[in-house]
Amino acid sequence: MPLLSLRDITKRYPGVAALDAVSLDVEAGMVHALVGENGAGKSTLLKILAGAERADSGVIELSGETLHLTTPRDALRRGVTVIYQEFALVPSLGADANIFLGMEPMRAGLLDGAAARRDAGRALTELGAAFDPSTPVTLLSTAERQLVELARALVRDARVIALDEPTAALSSRETAHLFVQVRRMAERGLGVIFVSHRLEEVRALSSRITILRDGRRVWTGGTAGIDDATLIRHMVGRDVEYERLSRGPDDRSKPEAAGDTISDEVLQVRGLTRRPRFEDVSFALRRGEIVGLAGLVGAGRTEMARCLAGVDPWEDGEVLLHGRPFRPLSPGDAIARGVAYLPEDRKTQGLVLGISVRENTTLPVLRRFVRRGALDFAAERRAAAEYLGYVGLAAATLERPAATLSGGNQQKVVLAKWLLANADVLIVDEPTRGVDVGAKVDIHRHLRGLADKGKAVLVISSELPEVLALSDRLIVLREGRVSATFDAADATPERVLAAALPGGRAA
Amino acid sequence: MGDRPSDGPGQTAKVARRTARSRLALFGVPIALAAMTILAAVTIPGFLSPANLTTILLHVSINAVLALGMTFVIVTAGIDLSVGSIVALCGVLAAKTLTSATLLGAVGPLGAAALAVAVGFGVGAGVGALNGSAVAYLRVAPFIVTLATMTIARGTARLVTGGVPVGYPDPGAPAYEAKVAALDVLHGLGGGRITLPGLPGGFPVPALVMLAVVAAGAFVLTRTRFGRYVYAVGGNEEASRLSGVPVPHVKLAVYAISGACAGLAAVLLLGQLRSGGPDAGTFYELNAIAAAVIGGTSLLGGTGSAWGTLVGALLLGVLNNALDLLGVQAFWQEIAKGGIILLAVLFDVWVTRTSAAAATKR
Repeated sequence: MPLLSLRDITKRYPGVAALDAVSLDVEAGMVHALVGENGAGKSTLLKILAGAERADSGVIELSGETLHLTTPRDALRRGVTVIYQEFALVPSLGADANIFLGMEPMRAGLLDGAAARRDAGRALTELGAAFDPSTPVTLLSTAERQLVELARALVRDARVIALDEPTAALSSRETAHLFVQVRRMAERGLGVIFVSHRLEEVRALSSRITILRDGRRVWTGGTAGIDDATLIRHMVGRDVEYERLSRGPDDRSKPEAAGDTISDEVLQVRGLTRRPRFEDVSFALRRGEIVGLAGLVGAGRTEMARCLAGVDPWEDGEVLLHGRPFRPLSPGDAIARGVAYLPEDRKTQGLVLGISVRENTTLPVLRRFVRRGALDFAAERRAAAEYLGYVGLAAATLERPAATLSGGNQQKVVLAKWLLANADVLIVDEPTRGVDVGAKVDIHRHLRGLADKGKAVLVISSELPEVLALSDRLIVLREGRVSATFDAADATPERVLAAALPGGRAA
Repeated sequence: MGDRPSDGPGQTAKVARRTARSRLALFGVPIALAAMTILAAVTIPGFLSPANLTTILLHVSINAVLALGMTFVIVTAGIDLSVGSIVALCGVLAAKTLTSATLLGAVGPLGAAALAVAVGFGVGAGVGALNGSAVAYLRVAPFIVTLATMTIARGTARLVTGGVPVGYPDPGAPAYEAKVAALDVLHGLGGGRITLPGLPGGFPVPALVMLAVVAAGAFVLTRTRFGRYVYAVGGNEEASRLSGVPVPHVKLAVYAISGACAGLAAVLLLGQLRSGGPDAGTFYELNAIAAAVIGGTSLLGGTGSAWGTLVGALLLGVLNNALDLLGVQAFWQEIAKGGIILLAVLFDVWVTRTSAAAATKR
């Protein structure tokens, strides 16, 4: 008998069947991976399991006993813990207080802080955490917060743990550590549900896989019994592979219009330094070229991009834009001078979710639509529609709040916004994070299209296959310094990874 | 690719709330205002008389002007607690200007009145800009900054007046007639009426000022680049900054606008009462916040409208007036006002819950 059994779970939202009779069995001591594109129904399934949403029909059984989960508290009490990507921690409280939140140890009617600290400390130590249990969560890194969530499950004697995209913001080392802990929890007899977009992680961790597509279960079976191509085909219902869009030096030497050559260096970065984030970073961006910036999370890629975009100041070094000194005072200044930055988190940095898609698209260049002091809505709408149409969004989305779009479409709005800004240099940070495979391919093509128009593009991505597929040249940052540069032809995943990993240490 | 929301539950709910908010501002509050007006018209004799209706407008005008400025601030997810004290400070400074014998001797009653308006407006905008600088550049929480300004402005108003109102001169005081004349000029602005055919008693001038201010506010919020920035900053400050929006300038400006509105309200009040008191404007900030919130401005920022705020202020005005006419004790009126604010918020929560799914599944 499986430890956890979900049978024929159906959930409808007005107009959509988010889940259509989905069944899933999780055995004790096993890791069961749940994969699917965005909107396939994974998150809804987890929410139902967590007691945060109620299924319209279907049964959840734990060790053969039917569970009626109406609140998250029910689920936790029955031993079901769901760890969301964005976490459910109170940042201002200590790790110990978070771990015992809702089940605080008491003594004589008062909080027993010492017991909480002690037991939380024990659980954290068991998970290999090296921080004081009373540290406020706000001071912890993403990986450490994850350990807090896991410790919370441990002290609650969880029997089933579901992890939603746990590695999205982790470095390889942190991921490896997390996997060790998850395996140990499985060895202790817990059932684990693992949701991930990263197939290599699914292979590394899980013994069974369930694939969801459009709210239906399309495949379940042993991990060993399916190859990547089949898996992806099931996920998307079609064959998708990153199209290799990189260009060799031969292609790039072709002459461009108006006498410009591709070797024109638009942006030159010399010895750029902002301690302790990055130090002595030098490189150049040329017209018509996509340069990939690879490295582990925390290697200083985003921090450097933010400096170039005028978000943060740098300490030392110089930057030349079209051969002239460039030191932006603000993002607005950088944009005005032709350097645009597409930030890594579209929901908190890329979009104003409450205003319309049109208003988001025109925000950086609103100045253009001012006629005699007032906004010219018709001109604004025309421009927004043109660029949204170009990235493949229907005109019907123009007036909708940005929040109502899927992740992939939101990212296309961000892209349209920066296309409209018409910058000479575009720095894109994790352009396809949390975006489904089909939208990824579209976004890749648009970035290549920009380069073809003579723009210089710098791509930061933690997904190695993505950087490799896109970049004409690759720069690898390691602990804040440039550790290697490659031409597209010479870059292999192994070589890039070797350059990105901290020196001397194995992966 | 589908358009199912893939956002976290919090985000979706927040946006649904905003969508519902704006819908509430569009329909809910005007309907409530209409219902209350009809109810009052049917049950209270004399409520619908032109004299009474213009009285309501007169009484609403000062709060509506303050609430309009407050709307700018709240849309950026800020708050301005200092407007009531700014009304007092600007009122006494304008009154001192207006009744200064030397000034009256130099520029006459009309000139002194113009200067008084300028002083009220300028001091208000200046104090507001100080609020804005602290919020924008020193990054102090708006609640704290404006709480401090609220106390400082009130204290300053008491200090410069010795705690007593400035205004109507004693007969026999130097330049008595010029002072009265100057106060009369300003009374034309704050308490005067312009005659309209078919409207006995005329239309109150401050209500005209209010309509002009609200119309200007609506234009700025919806039709200008600055207005768009106000909504963007309130909706997502970080995304706005990364999009090149000059966030600190926008914040500075909204507090300056709120302060200027308070200065204007002070001048209206001074004209109406012919006196500027250091204790004037107490709790005005709360009435202004109430009008904005009832009118659909979310304290979370990102939503709100000038016309919605006007309707919110009118609703409070009609309520006060109806209870007055019914002879309800003032204490009960306060309780009723609190109840209305609570009802507005509850209604909003209800609308949000019922429309949350629809708002995100369109």
